[in-house]
Amino acid sequence: MDFYVSALANVLTFGPLAAMIGATLLGVFIGALPGLNPVMAIALLLPLTYSMEPLVALAMVAGIYNGSMYGGAIPAILLRIPGTPASIATTFDGFPMADKGEAAKALKIACWSSAVGGIASAIALMTVGPLLARVTLFFGPAEYFWIAIFGMASVGVMVGSDPIKGIMAAVLGLLIGTMGIDSLSGQARYTFEQTWLLGGLDLIVVLVGLYALPPVLQLAEKCDLKGLSAAQLKLTDVPFKRGEIRGLFPTWLRSSGIGISVGILPGAGGNIAAFLSYNAAKNASKEPDSFGKGNPQGVAAAECGNNADNAASMIPALSLGIPGNVVAALVLSALTIHGLQPGPQLFHQNPGLVGGFMMEMLITSLLIFLLGGAVATRVFAQFQRLPGVLLVPSILILMCVGVYVINGRPVDLWVMLAAGVAGYFLEKVNVPLAPIILGMILGPMAEQSVRRALLISRGDATELLTRPISATLAIATLLMITWPIVKAMRSRRAAART
Amino acid sequence: MTIKTTLVGLAAAAALATPALAEYPERAIELTIPAGAGGGTDTSARKLAILLEEALGTSIAVLNVGGGGGSVGASQFMQAKPDGYSLFATWNSPLTTVPQVQNVAYSLDSFTPIASTSETAYTLCVKADFPADDGAGFLEELAANPAKYTYGNDGIGGTMQLAAERIFQTKGIEAIAIPFGGAGETLQNFLGGHVDIYGGSISTVLPYVETGEAKCLLVTSAADVPALPQASGLEALGMGDKETLLWRAILGPKDMDPAIVELLADTIEASVNDPGYVEFLATKGEVPNVVKGDDLGTRLQAEFDALAQVSKGLGL
Repeated sequence: MDFYVSALANVLTFGPLAAMIGATLLGVFIGALPGLNPVMAIALLLPLTYSMEPLVALAMVAGIYNGSMYGGAIPAILLRIPGTPASIATTFDGFPMADKGEAAKALKIACWSSAVGGIASAIALMTVGPLLARVTLFFGPAEYFWIAIFGMASVGVMVGSDPIKGIMAAVLGLLIGTMGIDSLSGQARYTFEQTWLLGGLDLIVVLVGLYALPPVLQLAEKCDLKGLSAAQLKLTDVPFKRGEIRGLFPTWLRSSGIGISVGILPGAGGNIAAFLSYNAAKNASKEPDSFGKGNPQGVAAAECGNNADNAASMIPALSLGIPGNVVAALVLSALTIHGLQPGPQLFHQNPGLVGGFMMEMLITSLLIFLLGGAVATRVFAQFQRLPGVLLVPSILILMCVGVYVINGRPVDLWVMLAAGVAGYFLEKVNVPLAPIILGMILGPMAEQSVRRALLISRGDATELLTRPISATLAIATLLMITWPIVKAMRSRRAAART
Repeated sequence: MTIKTTLVGLAAAAALATPALAEYPERAIELTIPAGAGGGTDTSARKLAILLEEALGTSIAVLNVGGGGGSVGASQFMQAKPDGYSLFATWNSPLTTVPQVQNVAYSLDSFTPIASTSETAYTLCVKADFPADDGAGFLEELAANPAKYTYGNDGIGGTMQLAAERIFQTKGIEAIAIPFGGAGETLQNFLGGHVDIYGGSISTVLPYVETGEAKCLLVTSAADVPALPQASGLEALGMGDKETLLWRAILGPKDMDPAIVELLADTIEASVNDPGYVEFLATKGEVPNVVKGDDLGTRLQAEFDALAQVSKGLGL
């Protein structure tokens, strides 16, 4: 207990506090602008903090990280443009809600859910995290293969009414994911002798094109010259109705659990946490058909899931010295610069600093409650009032800037344009876009893991099923695929009886 | 076009064509890093750039061009103007290792070597119950059991793998390489028992050497490494000429003005030896090592030739 009290006292001083507030605000903006992402922002800003007090530098990391995970929801809800890959699942129900005139409510649910997910995750980091960290080591390549397959099974909920088109989209994503240097053989695949394709297609570049360009083109089609007046925007704060929060509670609990479990596994990532949470919410719902049509539970599940991943992803970094993602790697490098050695001894070496950082992850999640809603409605939602003739070019410019700074290559802009045009026509023929991104994320993970597992087992495929955890994951995947079918059959039988 | 604009244009062209050393640097320098933001090469280059900005009195804009194990950034950079305002901060792999496995558009001749900055060895470590306690015993155990042990490394055809295979080929050892996405991932799989041997950077595994969970028995440098007293350097095993390190350098495009190269090399040398930078390097397990100009070119060529032989042996 003393540990947390002293950590709290360290953090509640002017420097860290100011850094947390500033960075959370900045994070919301970074998350909300398509193309800009927290990894890049932290990587660019961290070197500037080397000379500062470590808790100030870490406050900045915590704020940007937590803020941006929520910020991605703002354009996802208002414009159907996910600000980060992790907020794709937020568009499924967030935008239909906005379309029905419930934008303010969707933003509020996203804000609360992000904060709840972040808080749950920070508490996990402070309590059970270090104990669970060793467990993650049991996950080898065979287990990671099944996690990827498990994630891919969630494609089922995204395909909508036409499963064939959804599966085709997922396969397209898998194909794109195979491009570039194969990290297990060193061979270049589908690079057509182009040097810039050696690294494959960048996920963020494709995401921005595929997801941001079609809605922008649709806005342009409306040819809106006037814009909305403040009154037409209808963004006054909608207080939660009685029982509404209680209704969201099971979803928050479930999504936090999923986000934390995915986050604690190095390399799994927040992008799939949101998908899995959304999937679980839909499977658990009594009205699965209302998902994708503006169900608040969908927004809550996705946003809670992606924020719950954040602090949890620091668990393997802080307790084992194994960075699970780039942000965690940056935190570790910041700690080493301040003379700390990441690894099992870190907690004993400097409990004040480690505890302080954990506290900062918690406080920046709380700050989303305070700052998130205001930023979303007072600033970003006002952009919606711009007439289309101004909004369309502004978004396009922001997209181009965001995409260009990722790799500093003009060719990425062409990739974005191509992806956007493809996305526009795919939407016209009702092909869902989310499976493409899911395929791009999980395809390489599944492929590399299965090949590593087979290298280790000297080509014996039974190892994929005979290890205790891999067998459990395989069964879970099977259940996940068959559950909606069982449920549908049961309800049909029930309908026949009545 | 009026005469006036033509004259202005000509004057500008003339100014660009002949950058006099006396005025260098008179505008911002662009520093290309062939890796994404946040990695080891990126952080050390950005930190060095801050010191160089001060020493040169100009601003340095950092440009990250990741992908292809560094070859994307290198290919893009080779087309830059050799006027001293485009520099390339890289680690050795894109220049000496990647061309062994990829068809790249550049060769060592596409660059002007300016100065190397820092270096560190790779290490090979095993769990505490491994039946050997020093480098010689480790290699004997591996040689006696062909294809029994798996070792994790930083990627197929990567410098770490070639550094290990260079030793294994000399001793006739057959071990199974399992490529991972980086030292952190290798450590995770080593600690979880999914691979038998950790192969990667020293600083990543060091905490587990201190807890006794891992014992590092070999380093890929000729000399021993003070942080790992149990590990043998290659000199002690009679293979001093098989040394392969991870090292970083700053280069320019082909055909740079030798006077500017010399000025930059001296400035880099001073900045690298700045006590703050040396301390920073120490946190990453690296030590400063400045090799300048043509000597750096010789070092690159020697490493390239040695690794070409190793990768031919591997059939890569």
